[in-house]
Amino acid sequence: MKDMNLQGKKRIFSVFAFVVIVLVALVGRCFWIQFVDGPNLQIRAIEQQTKDKTINSKRGVIYDRNGKILAQSASVELVSVNPREIADAGNADFVADTLSSILGLDRNAVFEKLHKNSSYEIIKRRVEKPEAEAIRGYMSYTNESGETVNMMKGVYLSEDTKRYYPYGPLAAHVIGFVGTDNQGLSGVELSFDNYLKGLPGRVVTAKNAIGTDMPYQYEKYINPENGANLVLTIDETIQHFVEKHLEQAVAEYNVQNGAACIIMNCKTGEILAMATYPSYDLNDPFTLNDPAVQAEIDALSGEERTTRYNEAIQQMWRNKAVVDTYEPGSTFKGITTAMALEENVVGVNDMFNCSGHLQVGPHSIGCWKSGGHGSLTFVQGVENSCNPVFMTVGSRIGPQNFYKYYKAFGFAEKTGFDLPGEAVCAFHAMENFNEVELATSSFGQSFQITPLQLVTAYSAICNDGTMVRPRIAKALVDDDGNVLKTFETEYIRKVISAETAATTRTILESVVTNGTSKNAYIPGFRIAGKTGTSEKLPRGNGKYIASFLGFAPANDPEIIGLLILDEPMGDTYMGGQIAAPTFKLIFDDVLRYMGVEPQYTTEEIETMDLPVPNVVGLPVADVSNAFANSGLKYQIVGDGDTIVSQIPNGGTALPSGSTVVLYTRETSENDVVVPDVVGCSVTETNRRITNAGLNIKISGDAEVKDGEAVAATQSPPPGTLVPKGTVVTVEFKYINVH
Amino acid sequence: MKFPRLLGKTQTDRGKGIDYTFLTVVIMLLAYGLIMVFSASSASAHYRMGDTFYFIKRQGICAVIGLIGMYVFSVIHYKKYYKWALPFLGIVVILLVLVLTPLGVEVNGASRWLGFSFLTFQPSELAKFALIIFLAKYLTDNGKMLEKPGGFIANLVIIGLIAGLVLLEPHMSGAMVIAGVGVVILYVAGAKKLHLSILAVLGIVGAFGLIAIAPYRMARFTTFLDPFADMQGEGFQIVQSLYAIGSGGFFGLGLGQSRQKFLYLPEPQNDFIFSIICEELGFFGALLVIVLFAVLIWKGIQIAMRAPDKFSSLLVAGIISLVAIQVILNIAVVTSSMPATGVPLPFFSYGGTSLIIMLCGMGIVLNVTRHIKK
Repeated sequence: MKDMNLQGKKRIFSVFAFVVIVLVALVGRCFWIQFVDGPNLQIRAIEQQTKDKTINSKRGVIYDRNGKILAQSASVELVSVNPREIADAGNADFVADTLSSILGLDRNAVFEKLHKNSSYEIIKRRVEKPEAEAIRGYMSYTNESGETVNMMKGVYLSEDTKRYYPYGPLAAHVIGFVGTDNQGLSGVELSFDNYLKGLPGRVVTAKNAIGTDMPYQYEKYINPENGANLVLTIDETIQHFVEKHLEQAVAEYNVQNGAACIIMNCKTGEILAMATYPSYDLNDPFTLNDPAVQAEIDALSGEERTTRYNEAIQQMWRNKAVVDTYEPGSTFKGITTAMALEENVVGVNDMFNCSGHLQVGPHSIGCWKSGGHGSLTFVQGVENSCNPVFMTVGSRIGPQNFYKYYKAFGFAEKTGFDLPGEAVCAFHAMENFNEVELATSSFGQSFQITPLQLVTAYSAICNDGTMVRPRIAKALVDDDGNVLKTFETEYIRKVISAETAATTRTILESVVTNGTSKNAYIPGFRIAGKTGTSEKLPRGNGKYIASFLGFAPANDPEIIGLLILDEPMGDTYMGGQIAAPTFKLIFDDVLRYMGVEPQYTTEEIETMDLPVPNVVGLPVADVSNAFANSGLKYQIVGDGDTIVSQIPNGGTALPSGSTVVLYTRETSENDVVVPDVVGCSVTETNRRITNAGLNIKISGDAEVKDGEAVAATQSPPPGTLVPKGTVVTVEFKYINVH
Repeated sequence: MKFPRLLGKTQTDRGKGIDYTFLTVVIMLLAYGLIMVFSASSASAHYRMGDTFYFIKRQGICAVIGLIGMYVFSVIHYKKYYKWALPFLGIVVILLVLVLTPLGVEVNGASRWLGFSFLTFQPSELAKFALIIFLAKYLTDNGKMLEKPGGFIANLVIIGLIAGLVLLEPHMSGAMVIAGVGVVILYVAGAKKLHLSILAVLGIVGAFGLIAIAPYRMARFTTFLDPFADMQGEGFQIVQSLYAIGSGGFFGLGLGQSRQKFLYLPEPQNDFIFSIICEELGFFGALLVIVLFAVLIWKGIQIAMRAPDKFSSLLVAGIISLVAIQVILNIAVVTSSMPATGVPLPFFSYGGTSLIIMLCGMGIVLNVTRHIKK
């Protein structure tokens, strides 16, 4: 056999050389992939190889200022499936049947999800424990032969949370609610979402290409960080008072478009209560609170239905106190007063004349009292809410200054309040702000503001000239009660001097004691305030907003409140007639609850009810001693030596100067008939009752004057035979109030 | 070293003793390959077969058979093939035709196997050796004829016949390897460079022609240019392979720590085993593979050059070029350096026929080393 020739050997070597070159090139290629493309490829590889599972963080609790829980998250479960595992296990039918029946879902929808081309599908969120346990039962099911089998291969239960609102509809518009992913959707749940939600944790696990976990391969657990707990400035009790009285007022005065009320600590800006009526149940925020509207929507279909539902639900969620704008009307006169005093264009005793209207340029603008108030001082002008007085004062302030103060009082900007959706309306453009606009603006018409803006502006009057920023949050605390952050009082700016503020407060207090706001009077609590009645646009449709803004105590205010009744359709709609009495009920509850010390004036003490001394069993000779400092008079009937009975009984409260009838023997010959006083003036009522030998008690403790109020009810009723000295309780209603 | 005398004294050929360096490299490659088959296959064996050891058990048995085969062929005098070259080729041609008949076992649309149930083998693996042996004999006998165009073409016809039959299965990569080995032998045997150049031009044109007529080849070709363009389709395997290689770094994730083998890379123990080596043992492990092959090829080339005669020289050159071509094609494919085609990595990729026949081939080379002129 031949040998290999030299050329062949060379060629063999050159084949080798070629192979080596190619191999070196391939080594280079590997190097390139591993070190140049490597980092990028690694990231993409890890992305596909790992499963990132989010662990929900616990959402923070929302407390009221006293630690009552307003919102809280509870542990529930989430049911998910891995459709690929379901496909491998071939149990889709069984799983679809079981899950749809336990969870109350549509079987076809579940079945469809089980056949998705994915490795993770959520079947239902926020599943309560009993349902979760039922599913778990099938996961370790003991069959006839005693084996434990997982009938639900590919079905997973994991932790989920659900939000509970223990007080249901209370402060719904303030607290707000969360969506399906526990994200805040409205109220403080939305505006403080970043604090409340915490940081979700993650479990990163290795998975194979079909999506199942690979045991012992790789797992990394990143702890979730729980959300901070939020302490609100809201006081659940005050909120409750407010909502109760709003509901009563809405019913009593046939209010059509809801009501709103804000109660704020005027020194700190803390909102103690903020209510919008009607409220809705936070535990079921997507159900309309008005069955009539729901029925109307149910009758619709398709897109129209969706549109109408969205409208209605948005309306239901609106926080009227912050989001809705309105014409403040006469409640704005306090601000105009402060402007005028600060600009020194009016003195408290300056004289004005009201003929019932005032000619402003081409227009004659009327006063609410068509006959006019005649000659009156500035203070009386405020007390009587006289429009011509304010138009005159407005023109003295001038458009430039009026606009300057309008902005300074914050009506052209958001208050910076920490609830979502705060509105700001444009004021008249400066070039269009002429005498007519100025005249109407000075008594609170022709522009719109939010209730919260008005309260914030008035905080300057309460607070010696400095406006305070309203706020809803007091502090953030962790689960161990440590304070993470305290929300401090923020002052917006000083708008007027302390003197102007004090004078304005005095005037506004006299509006309550002497003027149109008498229905808000509470003895001892020095309420100051202003009523407002504004006709809604378009004018002439008979729709009004009745409102009252007040604060107390007038000399050093602690709380300020604004009440708005939107579209009262009852017999009365004026702010003084319906808003002031409701406001009084709210403030009476709130001031007493807050333990504000009453400060009685001398006149109040004079008109205050005094306890009747008990003299039964005493000798007649000692009676004068017993009555010495009582502030009450007495009359002895009979000539016995000892008092055997008295009318009224000891301990009864009577207005000072009333007469207690004392009997030395049992008799009924002194019984008298109760006169009819309904419709009578105060003087007439007093005369009739006193003449009958009876005592009068005016309910509501108001110091009523003639010509302003008439007796509305009396007890006992007319014609009743009662012993002399019996107390007749008479309730007076103010007439002619603005 | 004493091998047991399985074939009886008279028939065994021990010559001057084998080249132990070559044997050592073969054993190292085989051991490395078995470890990697186990590591790469365990996950898919677990998930798909329910038995972590499913693939390694089969590969281990084949390795033992292959080692026995290697011994047997190392003691069979290479000159015996000289006599049997033509009948052997004839048998292989018959088998390759049988594969195309209903007797062939079809898997994934390709009919490449003969046999029953688990006892199947690929005639194309056998064909590689039959062709090498035949060409070695034919060119030894008719060396001068090769320099004429007619002789060159005659050899090409034989190569084309075998490669063509394999291509019909269809088994593109097998045909490519066979054609490649054939051409290398022609080159070593002294074919004219002009002829080879013309062939190269025709080959390139033909390759593009084949790509153009079969849509799946075209898809594979465009995929190679940008595998990420169709990650979920044609590019899937290559992208997964690149993920595996790219995840390795210098020393890799550690033996057994591949993540890509968890059903991402389809059949990681087969053609893409090199990717798993890169992932688990990093650049270092990949370099070791390539260096071991380089040493094997270098030793093989040395043996071919020192072979006692032209026949054995061509025989060894053919077998070594068979190894080299498969290594190059396999690594080039998994590193996305050329269009995807299913070439196994010798000694590494799972597959009984390939491993047994490759080890038998190594036995033939070892027998040649017994006759090297020192």
